[in-house]
This record gives sequence, C-alpha cells and structure tokens, in this order.
Amino acid sequence: MPLGDIGAAIGIALTYYTIIYVTGLGGLFSERSGIVNIGLEGMLIVGTVTGSWGTAELTPELGLPWGPLLGMMIGMVAGAAFSSIHALATVTFRVDQIVSGVVINLVAVGVARFLSTIFFGQATQSDSGQPRMNPLDLPLLSDLPWGLGKAFQGLSPMVLVALVMVVPATYALSRTRWGLRLRSCGENPEAARSLGVRVAAYRYQGVLLSGALAGFAGAFLAIEVNLSWNEGQTQGLGFIALAALILSNWNPIRLMAAAFIFGFAQAIPLRLADAPIIGAIPPEFIRMTPYVVTIVVLAGFVGKVRPPAAAGRAYEASGGG
Amino acid sequence: MAAVEAGTEARGARRPEWLENIGGQLLAVLTALGIAVLLGSIIIVAYSAGTGVGEDPITVYRAILNGSFGDKNGFGYVLANAGPLIFSALAVSVCFKGGMFNIGVEGQFIVGMATASFAALTFTFLPAPLLVLTVLLFGMLGGMAWAAVPAILKVKTGAHEVVTTIMMNGIATSLVAWVIGGPLRYEDTGGGFNVNLRTDPFPDAAMIPDLGHLFGIRSSARLSWVLLLALLTAAVMWFVLRRMRIGFEARAVGASPGSAQAGGISIGAVQIKLFLISGALAGLVGIQQLFADQGFLPAGYEAGIGFTGIAVAFLGQNSPVGIVFAALLWGVLARGETSLQLETDMPREFIIILQGLLIISVVVTYQLAKRRLFARQLRRAAAVEDLRDSEAPADAGPSEGSGDEGEVR
Repeated sequence: MPLGDIGAAIGIALTYYTIIYVTGLGGLFSERSGIVNIGLEGMLIVGTVTGSWGTAELTPELGLPWGPLLGMMIGMVAGAAFSSIHALATVTFRVDQIVSGVVINLVAVGVARFLSTIFFGQATQSDSGQPRMNPLDLPLLSDLPWGLGKAFQGLSPMVLVALVMVVPATYALSRTRWGLRLRSCGENPEAARSLGVRVAAYRYQGVLLSGALAGFAGAFLAIEVNLSWNEGQTQGLGFIALAALILSNWNPIRLMAAAFIFGFAQAIPLRLADAPIIGAIPPEFIRMTPYVVTIVVLAGFVGKVRPPAAAGRAYEASGGG
Repeated sequence: MAAVEAGTEARGARRPEWLENIGGQLLAVLTALGIAVLLGSIIIVAYSAGTGVGEDPITVYRAILNGSFGDKNGFGYVLANAGPLIFSALAVSVCFKGGMFNIGVEGQFIVGMATASFAALTFTFLPAPLLVLTVLLFGMLGGMAWAAVPAILKVKTGAHEVVTTIMMNGIATSLVAWVIGGPLRYEDTGGGFNVNLRTDPFPDAAMIPDLGHLFGIRSSARLSWVLLLALLTAAVMWFVLRRMRIGFEARAVGASPGSAQAGGISIGAVQIKLFLISGALAGLVGIQQLFADQGFLPAGYEAGIGFTGIAVAFLGQNSPVGIVFAALLWGVLARGETSLQLETDMPREFIIILQGLLIISVVVTYQLAKRRLFARQLRRAAAVEDLRDSEAPADAGPSEGSGDEGEVR
C-alpha cells in the first residue's frame, strides 16, 4: 500500500506543481523586471472565476477539449487585465509595490464575488462538475510497477505544459534580447535607461505576464482540478508560489524543484495521511512547511537568496519614459 | 525676487502648517472618495444597462447610507465593527511610522485569538474583571510573540518583513486550525453529534459587557466595551506616536534610517519595539468576535480583518484620528451590503468593489499628493537655502542605500 499511495501523492503533487510553478513563473517575470508582486493570490482568484465561467459557457458549443482550453485562455486574459491595475499603480503612478499588491489581493475577492453573481447568479460558487479536458495516462510511465504508475495516470494535459514551460521561459529570460532587457530593468533601471531600454514598457510587460500566468493557473485550478469555482479555493497557493519563487532564487529551473516540493507537501495530507511517520504529524503542520522553509531560507540559516537588485524600487524616468 | 517669493512662501507655510497638513490629507481623502464614487457610478450605470435592472447611482448610494443611518441597529453594527478595524489599522500604522510594512497583522490577530481563548478557558477561577484583563493580556502576548519573529529576523538577518510576515500568516492559519481541532477542541458534545469544530464555550466572566442595550441597540455584532477600548487605544497611540520618545524615533527611522542612526538612534531596537507594539495591537483584533459576539473560537472564525486593517490604515493615512473615522466609513460601506440587497437590484458584492475602488484611489491620490508636496518642499528648500538648482529630484527618492534597503524585494 505505501508505494501505491506515494504514486498517487506524486500525481497530486504534479497537479499542485502546475499551479505553483505557473504562478511562480509569473511572479518571476514581474520581479525580474523590478516589480514585486505579492498580488499573485488575487490574480489567481480572478483566474479561477473567469476560467470557470469560460468552460461552462464555451464547452457546450465547442466541445472538448476546446471549451476548457479556451476557458483557461479567458482566465489568462482576465488575469492580465486585472494585473494591469498593479502595473498602472506601480509603474505609472509609482505607488509602493507592496501597497499595491496588498490592494490587489483585497480587491480580487470582491471582483470575484461580483463576477460570480453575474456569471453564476450566486456570489461564492458555480455549479459543480463543470467540463474539463479529458485526463491523460502518460504512456510507459503510467505502467510503472509497484503502484508508482498511479502518479502518471489521469493527469490533465496542462500538467505537461507546465512541465515543459521551463524551456521557453529560460530561453526567453536568458537567451533573448527581450529577456536581457527585462532583467536589466530589475537589476539596474538607470543603467538600462541610459542604454535606451524603455524601463516602464518592460515593467508593464513583466507585470502583465505575471497576471496572465497567474490567471491561467487559477483557471487551471477551477477547471481541471476542482471542476467548479468556489470562493477560497486558492487556499493561499499564490503565497506558496511566492515562497517557491524566493526559494528558487528567482530562477525558472530551480523554481521547478521548489514548486514540486511544495506541491508534494500539499499532497501529503491528502494521500499519505496513514503512512508511517508522516502520518503521525498533524496535517496542519505539513501544510505550514512551505512557509517555514521559506522563512528559514530567507533568514539565511540555509543557503542564501538574492532578489533582483531593483525589485521593489520605483523607477523615475527623467524625461520621457 | 527669489528671496521675496521664498519669504512669503515660508511664512505661509509656518503659520498653518498643521492645518495645511490636515487640510491636505483631508483633501486627498475626499478627492479619492469622489473618484471612487464616480467610478462606482459608472459601474452601476454599466451594470444597469447590461442587465436591465434599472438602477441609478443616487438610489444605490442612498440605499447604502440607509443601512447605517436609517436605523439605530444599523449604526450600532457600524460602531461594533469599528473596534476590530481600529485595532487592526493601528497595528499596521505603527509599523508604517517606522518605515516598515506589517502584512502579518492577520497572522498576529489569529494567534492572539488562540492565546486569548486559551486564557479564557484556563484561568476560569478568576473573577470577571481580572479574567477579562488576563484575556486581553494573553491576546496581546500572542500577537506580540507572532510579531517578534519577523522583527528579530529583520534586525538580525536582514530578512525583509513583508515576506516573513506573509509566511507567518500562512503558518498562523494552520497552527490555529490545529489548536481548534486539537488542544482546545470542544469536547462537551452533550451526547449529541458535534459537527462544529470549535473551542469550549468561554465562561461568562470572560465575556465583555454589552453596551448596546443602554441605547436600545440590537445588532448581530454586539456593541460592547470593545469599541471604547479601541477609541482609548487610538488616543493612547496618538500620544505615544506624537509625544513620546518612541514616536519620535519611529518617525526618524521611517523618514531616513541613515540620519536616524547618525543621530544616535539604534535602528534595530526601534524596529523591534514598533513591531512588538504592532503585534500587541493586532492581538486585540479578535476580542470583539470572541468575547462580545461568539463566546467561543470557531474554526470558521472571521478572517481577513488583518488585511482590511491595511486598507483602513491607508484610508486614515496612518493617523490614529484618521483611522477611527476610516474604520467608521469602512463599516458604513460594509453595512450597506445588507440594505443594498434589500432596497435595490444591485448585487451586494458591489460594496466590495466600491471599497476596492476607494482604496485604490486613496493610494494613488495620496501618492500623487505626496509627490507634489515633495516637489514643493524641494523647491522651497532650494529657494530658502538659495542653493543652485536642486540636484536631480529622482535621486532624493526612496533609495537611501542604508544597507537594509538592498534587501527590499
């Protein structure tokens, strides 16, 4: 029984990995451009309600897999649109980035409820059992012996997308001109500006990208995991993504490991509750591990993290933008 | 020429400076309120047009105000709800004064609820007034303990308080869920099936006396001594921040850590003190729901007040007096949810949107006002000191390179 449960736990961990990684990657683009984004949770929330509406509306007309897929695209667009508030406030009006992020999280709850009454006629949930994409069994891997194959059965196709997302993300960030400029805005905006980089434009792109990715992750959560929208279904995953981002030292490859470990921590209370040793720990203590680990790392007890040098600091262009 | 101008400006500034300050802040808040009401009106019109419910802004806003000013109970509800918001916003503002951002009020208040509950269920032998004091004390201690971790980490290791407090919030939620489900779990089910996860009921002696009945007010949130305690606390905080050494030090550290240190202030000590005060205030946020409303700590306690407090602190622009009014305004809006639902066809969630709009416009307006003020001060300084052109204003901005700033994420 233990190995089969571990397989199932890994499967759940992969699902959570998808949410944490995609959201964290969004935060990564934003923060590498110099804008701290603690509003990820709010952007996730907006993605959940809009994505859920998208799949419910579109699937009857378009069928599978297009309905759920477009639903996630809608979540993505909505997340980006919502994050434009953060971009406008922090880049254009130079409001403190933490302040704006807090406001984003506060406002998101209201936006979600308001949209929900329009979409579903009730404030805190949609109908349950909304359409999702057909789950996949990965070939070969799902036949692994000792129950480990369970980890790779019934996965959402989007999990695969999240697993390979690291390739374009790393490439864009470290191998393209766009990525270099984006990072330069996060490290030294004055120098970037002096070389003709339009700092504000790149920071807008970073923030909008974070909104789009978080919105997508939220829609994935509502459509592919919960099959419905419920208030509070994000359960602080946006903050866990933030924790994973810090732990990864703002690196998309290390973010994979952090997201998987934190995803696995989420899976333990669900599938390994009666495993030896782990089962003896109250699930609440397992749920708090991502936060504890992050604090320990931040405090420098283990390893050292270095955020982008200019993240958190408003950039004031002297002259046009 | 320049000297004459500077003279008039300086005199104009000296006389009514406090007035100019308060007037300026009031103007900023009223402008923001106006913008929020305007944007809200656009949403109302758009919603009406989109769904055909036929509501107009005036009816909607009147309905919102009716909720609080239409009857005594409504206003009692606003007053009762103001208490926790005042504590929460004061907690946020104390750290703000010192240039720090305590997003952890939420976690500190949740932990404070657990420790206060523990005290109420443990020291049952104490007589009423002593037990209430003990409960308050334990709430404050719980909040302080939770605030001490990010404070010490900030001072000792440079870990930024925004991130650590966010993480402490996550830990607090899980920890208190465990406390309610484990050590403090309600055991006396009386033979019946108990589905409600919560603590034992508190002894009567721990409950905070009601005030509402004196005025014939009955509302779901009970008007109690908590409100008076909150007002008293706001007055004390005004005194502490305005008239006591720690308040001066806080402003010095908040304005410029480098100069404060040069002036002989120990930055770390001030930061830890401020965080502990903040945590103690946060520990009182839950008192209303535990010891005035519920009589026990349920697993489904009302969360989020710590975050709302941030909004109220902005709205009150971090001054204790402003915070009291902001808490009332916030409560009036919150109360409007019910009357909106009763009297109009707008969804009650419109209120949360309106609150969000208000807070966004306050933040942006305040930022713009500050920048104008800042620019004016620069001009004034340049004129009075008869310096040459001030050096690039951008360089005088937020980064002072105080070592600590480098860690700002």
